Amino acid sequence: MSVTGASAVGLLPIHSVGITPIEVSLFVFVLLTAVLTALFRDVLASIVIFAAYSLGLAVIYTFYRAPDVGLTEAAIGAGVTTVFLLLTIAKTTRPASDARFEAINWPAVGICGLFVAVVAVTLPAFPAVGDPASPILTDADVSGYYIANAYDQTGAENAVTAVLAAYRGFDTFGEAIVVFAAGVASLLVLGREVFTA
Amino acid sequence: MTDIIGVATTRHAYVLFVLLSAIGLYMMIANKNLVKKIIGLNMFQTGIFLFFITSAYRIGGSVPIVEPGAGPYVSPLPQVIVLTAIVVGISLTAVGLALTIRLYTEYGTLRADALREVIGDE
Repeated sequence: MSVTGASAVGLLPIHSVGITPIEVSLFVFVLLTAVLTALFRDVLASIVIFAAYSLGLAVIYTFYRAPDVGLTEAAIGAGVTTVFLLLTIAKTTRPASDARFEAINWPAVGICGLFVAVVAVTLPAFPAVGDPASPILTDADVSGYYIANAYDQTGAENAVTAVLAAYRGFDTFGEAIVVFAAGVASLLVLGREVFTA
Repeated sequence: MTDIIGVATTRHAYVLFVLLSAIGLYMMIANKNLVKKIIGLNMFQTGIFLFFITSAYRIGGSVPIVEPGAGPYVSPLPQVIVLTAIVVGISLTAVGLALTIRLYTEYGTLRADALREVIGDE
């Protein structure tokens, strides 16, 4: 498969790019859980399957050498989001379900098909997944600069930490403000701005 | 035809990104339940995160923890922006769910179509 792929696209010598069995199995798992999340009528079932979906994605991120993102996705996507969703249905309602699956909304499928078609025509213009010759990896002024200088300039061996906490420190501070604002907004909306334990 | 298979097997993660975003979009449009709409929003986001992570990936590259003599590494920059985006995403989800709970206490329903009727009657 990968042989046809690389030679048809003609970007790279054969051996390096192409889908691997690990990726196939992870992709099938994630796609299956995504479809089931969309189709299950019972919201509780959807939430639980969505947690499995997040966990699958965390494994994919780790496979793509992003363990920081994988951990964050497992903690926030599979953990905190699931807790928030469960709290919401505990405080509201879980519709009684006679049918197991939702009826498929064909006009919506059409719109999403259009979305897929529009984005998919741009796919051949992307570099192959993991291609070492792709611009993001070969540009010595950007990615290369941070890899080369992160430790000397910040003292952090992990380049992701160096960029997050040092080079983009103010951005991360802004992110903390977003979280604070979201907390304040949630309390205001729920009418709990006064803490009376 | 070989072209399509070639693109699908070498740009596989980008194909998955498109499909996950489309399923998230479908949930936002088709599901009437507000909680499921928010799950769809999260799914759309994670599709885009996958796009960023994939663009940083290098076959044979290692995790960007820099040690003398090691390498090559994957690019750290897209990973950092995704870390920030995940945290902003959970903030968005929290406010959305708080608004959902408030809507339920005011109007007693989570269905978008029923809400439109109730609010339209007032």
